[in-house]
Amino acid sequence: MNSLIKLELARALRNRKFLFFSVLYPSILFLIIAGKADSTTKVDGSGLTIPTYMMVSMASFGALTAVLMGNSERIAKERESGWVRQLRLTSLPGRGYVLAKTASAAVVSLPSIVVVFAVAATVKHVRLEAWQWLALTGSIWAGSLVFAALGVAIGYLATGDAVRPITMIVYFGLSMLGGLWMPATTFPQWLQDIAKWLPTHAYAALGQAIEQSQAPHSKDIAILVVFFALFAGGAAWLYRKDTLKA
Amino acid sequence: MTMTAETATATAVVAFDQVTKSYGDVRAVDGLTLALHPGETVALLGPNGAGKSTTLDLLLGLKHADSGSVAVFGTSPREAIVAGRVGAMLQSGGLMEEVTVAELVRLACDLHPKRFKVEDVLTRAGIGQIADRKVNKLSGGQAQRVRFALATAGDSDLIVLDEPTTGMDVSARQAFWATMREQADQGRTVLFATHYLEEADAIADRVLVLHRGRLLADGTAAEIKAKAGARSVRFDLEGAIDEAALHGLPFLTSIDVSGQTVRIQSSDADATVHALYGLGVYPRNLEVAGLGLEQAFVAITEAEEAKQS
Repeated sequence: MNSLIKLELARALRNRKFLFFSVLYPSILFLIIAGKADSTTKVDGSGLTIPTYMMVSMASFGALTAVLMGNSERIAKERESGWVRQLRLTSLPGRGYVLAKTASAAVVSLPSIVVVFAVAATVKHVRLEAWQWLALTGSIWAGSLVFAALGVAIGYLATGDAVRPITMIVYFGLSMLGGLWMPATTFPQWLQDIAKWLPTHAYAALGQAIEQSQAPHSKDIAILVVFFALFAGGAAWLYRKDTLKA
Repeated sequence: MTMTAETATATAVVAFDQVTKSYGDVRAVDGLTLALHPGETVALLGPNGAGKSTTLDLLLGLKHADSGSVAVFGTSPREAIVAGRVGAMLQSGGLMEEVTVAELVRLACDLHPKRFKVEDVLTRAGIGQIADRKVNKLSGGQAQRVRFALATAGDSDLIVLDEPTTGMDVSARQAFWATMREQADQGRTVLFATHYLEEADAIADRVLVLHRGRLLADGTAAEIKAKAGARSVRFDLEGAIDEAALHGLPFLTSIDVSGQTVRIQSSDADATVHALYGLGVYPRNLEVAGLGLEQAFVAITEAEEAKQS
């Protein structure tokens, strides 16, 4: 399976569009959103400055982009083209294909997190303790697995034609409503009530808790665990269905 | 063959026993029983929709039979694949895009328990020249060769190819046959699906004819060719027609007399027409036409059914 991971990774690193959107785009968005903000204005109710707050949002957004886009579209297209069938004629274990996709997406999502941090630290002078940087990287990276599972589920659910619009709707919907692009506290109350149950909101909240030197809220962890179980379970079920049908 | 079912299964490379697979109301494979033996080069011949691809999918474990059993080297298809005993090329076998031919072949070699060297696989498949080309920039024939390379990335005992020469022109097809024959000459069992009788004739030493999911004929290419080489003969006769005499014509597979027009299907039209003149009649508007493979299959089916009833 390692050779498949290597090849998937080589391919992802050659795809400039994918690299731009997952590695550079979140940093650019960060600069646009946090660019004019001074380093003293606090985001309502968080005690964090706008750059500090948005740094975690954008790192989460970048990781989300890498794992969701990396999985869903490729899987749907390769299922349709018959590559998935061809792989089933090799000694690769059945789950190997999905695991290789997720592993290679995870390798790309790491730089997308780190680049946002680097830009935030150098350009917007965000300062945190060393343990906070490490904990942030770890939690955002690990949390992206929730969306990797979602990507796999979409990949097995959608046809090759429908996969891009479906992915885009889910991607922008989750990003915006979850408060990755602007703090959910700026939303009207009814929208905030919805937003706080979204996995993307809980995902960013993990990182923001670390920035506040707090332990992540158990409610956010619970939301992420439930969504992970839901997405991974759905992906497994769709995968089995697809395998029996193909 | 006088082997019992058990010994046949024990020594067989592939053994289908009463295998049935339906899609809704359509029986794609209908009570199929067959055995392939080590070293054979076997063509699975049939018109489109005969059940060839479904048969291969069942053999490779991509589909599961509704009833009956499929064994490959005495185990399940999946076990045989994991053990590296089977290499296969699918008709609809998409390829991973945006990687080079060499990278993809290297992956196939890495995934094979009894892998060959990448360079050797590329050379043997005739794609050494295009090793650095991106997979999504290949012509149809080149892509087929890459698929063939994936199927022959290791020392498999059975090579399965589903319509391997689709999308190739005549010269490419013949070059490809030579590549296939090499595999057979190394003692491998080769099974390939095709709807070209010519292809079966050129490579296979055994031909299985599939029609509507049933095994219609099983023999050497020459035998099948004789059966499928049927022609239709049509002529008009004047006056009273002696039907009994016409029925006695040699090589008839079917005959239909309506009014003054006689339609015959014959497995040796030359001999049939010769004998027709020998009856002392004078056929007018004589037409002799070849039957397409599909019609020839129908002719064989009807002949088989007539024999049974």
